[in-house]
Amino acid sequence: MNYSPPSAPNEKAARTNLMLVGIAVGFLVFAALFTKNLWGRVEPRKEIPLVDKKFLETTPWRKTYADFVKAKDKDALEDYDCYGCHEKNKAPPIRYDKAGKILIPKEHSDIVMGHGSHDRNNLCFNCHNEQNLTTLQVRDGREVKFDNIPPLCGSCHGPTYRDWEAGAHGRISGSWNHANEADFTRLSCANCHNPHAPKIPTREPAPGPHLLRANPETHATEATH
Amino acid sequence: MAPNSPSLDKTSDAAMSRRNFLRGSAAVGGLTALAASLSPLRELHDFTNTDQFLQKYYKELTPDDMAKVLKRIESEVEKNYGVRPHVRDLKPMDGVEFVYCLNLTRCIGCRKCVHACVNENNQSRSPEIQYIRVLKLPHGSMDVEKADQNYAPASVPEKGFFYMPVQCQQCKNPPCVKVCPVHATWQEKDGITVIDYDWCIGCRYCEAACPYFARRFNFTKPEIPKDRLNTNMAYLGNRPRKQGVMEKCHFCIQRTRAGRYPACLEVCPVGARKFGNILDPNSEVSYILREKRVFIQLKEEMGTSPRFFYYFDK
Ligand code: HEC
Ligand code: HEC
Ligand code: HEC
Ligand code: HEC
Repeated sequence: MNYSPPSAPNEKAARTNLMLVGIAVGFLVFAALFTKNLWGRVEPRKEIPLVDKKFLETTPWRKTYADFVKAKDKDALEDYDCYGCHEKNKAPPIRYDKAGKILIPKEHSDIVMGHGSHDRNNLCFNCHNEQNLTTLQVRDGREVKFDNIPPLCGSCHGPTYRDWEAGAHGRISGSWNHANEADFTRLSCANCHNPHAPKIPTREPAPGPHLLRANPETHATEATH
Repeated sequence: MAPNSPSLDKTSDAAMSRRNFLRGSAAVGGLTALAASLSPLRELHDFTNTDQFLQKYYKELTPDDMAKVLKRIESEVEKNYGVRPHVRDLKPMDGVEFVYCLNLTRCIGCRKCVHACVNENNQSRSPEIQYIRVLKLPHGSMDVEKADQNYAPASVPEKGFFYMPVQCQQCKNPPCVKVCPVHATWQEKDGITVIDYDWCIGCRYCEAACPYFARRFNFTKPEIPKDRLNTNMAYLGNRPRKQGVMEKCHFCIQRTRAGRYPACLEVCPVGARKFGNILDPNSEVSYILREKRVFIQLKEEMGTSPRFFYYFDK
């Protein structure tokens, strides 16, 4: 058997030192990596964009005559100046097509009628006052002003109107304490419903929740709590 | 040591013995591990200061103490966000118990309430903390566990579905309060379950106890852009939270205890959300509970007795 003699003592010491320095450097590198946290962190979170401010808007989607008056919106108020075009004491004639559907003159082309299923309530003078176009009228003959229309709607939608008065339909803003009338306001029916086509249109939803870690597989409830 | 082998002795003296080597490397390794384990501390930006650390329990604070605490919070917020807020400690009012009613026939799932809430209550934007989750359910189903909350169609509502926003139900019998080991969350006499963010130790027991998944935890320092900070703040309400504490819907204490409606209600475009004092027979919530017929209290079988009523209209 061939026996190789142990290397010279100082050669061995040098090698040990080299090893030690190598290990120490290795540890230092680890320490640096740890404190810099280069792999401790799961991949960085994606920045979530701020939500568009339009979704924070509390004003209703429609403006009513009362809002136009308050804002002194001259352009919008022109539409309400009935006798700028119509002749006084002469009710405008109502025309129908062959199918019996009401024809809207082009001067009123912004109006699309669709009140109720089967256009049940499309007749202008169910609501407008043919004797005086600048007012509305309830079936029992009461006159209703453009700036306060809920009683008009209420004349045909009694239960809804009752809910609205109690605050259960529509929306009350301001104070939940209704002791003082000045502390709160009720949205008018026309703030939410177009009187001519009262069905509420669909709308774009605001963005949904962003998962904590962008993993689409994550179970929904896990992601946000 | 054998006298005829002096060279071995020499080696150990001159360089390093195996023992010293092991000691040295153990020390370096240990320090490294320590540094690594402490490294999360670097993310604790607003580490508790002494004043806050020594602060007394909320219910033991005298008005003087509270005034000082509010001042401290105001300057902390100013330091962190560059705007001076107005922080108040609003107490429950006499003869008032809040109740929420939500009309599922009306809700269209537009999620405006979710974002109005975030905006009002200074929740973290990124990562995102939201108190309200809107669940989309097929008509005729009430299986909340199978609901979809990530729906993203071009427009809502979608045919064949209804939407159910879920937030803290302000239970009369709140499991979250029972499990808190340090009484950092409790129910006040107006029915709101509150959290003292300075007392919370972040154990998340309450989060686990809540059957409605209503509680949120600040895993990181909350991020709120300066220009979106709501400066009307309450101690038990929307003052900015720290990393490591719980938060949840508190019926907008900073608004409702000052007489106003919660932010989620004010932003609802269809009027599905109703809020008020159940002890006042003229409030809309009293009217609704009297006049409407079908009510749902979520997971009512758990005995939590929520102050949050879902109902169908017609
Ligand atoms: C820009 C001018 C203009 C204004 C302003 C205006 N109208 Fe007219 N309106 C017309 C014209 C033109 C006709 C068609 C008349 C005709 O066929 O004889 C018409 C027709 C009508 C009709 C019949 C519609 C039909 O389907 O046949 C009604 C009802 C009516 N207007 C109500 C009003 C009321 C109420 C106001 C005010 C709130 C008003 N209009 C304001 C120009 C106007
Ligand atoms: C259900 C009741 C109702 C019916 C039916 C109805 N209107 Fe109106 N109309 C209103 C109300 C309420 C307003 C005021 C709304 C507001 O505050 O802006 C109004 C506003 C108007 C205006 C002024 C604002 C605008 O949009 O230009 C005109 C013009 C008008 N109606 C014409 C008509 C015509 C023409 C018809 C028939 C084709 C008709 N209306 C049918 C209730 C009705
Ligand atoms: C002259 C009676 C009458 C008046 C006044 C009236 N409506 Fe109607 N409304 C009806 C009828 C009829 C229907 C159809 C009901 C149906 O189809 O089942 C209806 C349906 C509706 C609907 C349901 C629409 C849908 O497609 O889901 C809404 C919302 C509505 N009206 C709102 C109003 C508002 C707001 C006013 C006041 C500007 C008003 N109505 C005034 C008679 C009236
Ligand atoms: C905050 C908005 C808002 C206001 C204000 C409001 N409504 Fe509605 N209303 C709705 C929504 C949302 C519906 C759901 C039906 C839809 O999508 O068209 C509705 C439905 C209705 C219906 C259909 C029946 C029903 O209950 O589903 C009637 C009728 C009605 N509203 C009448 C009124 C009347 C009358 C007023 C005023 C006294 C009024 N609304 C005020 C939002 C409003």
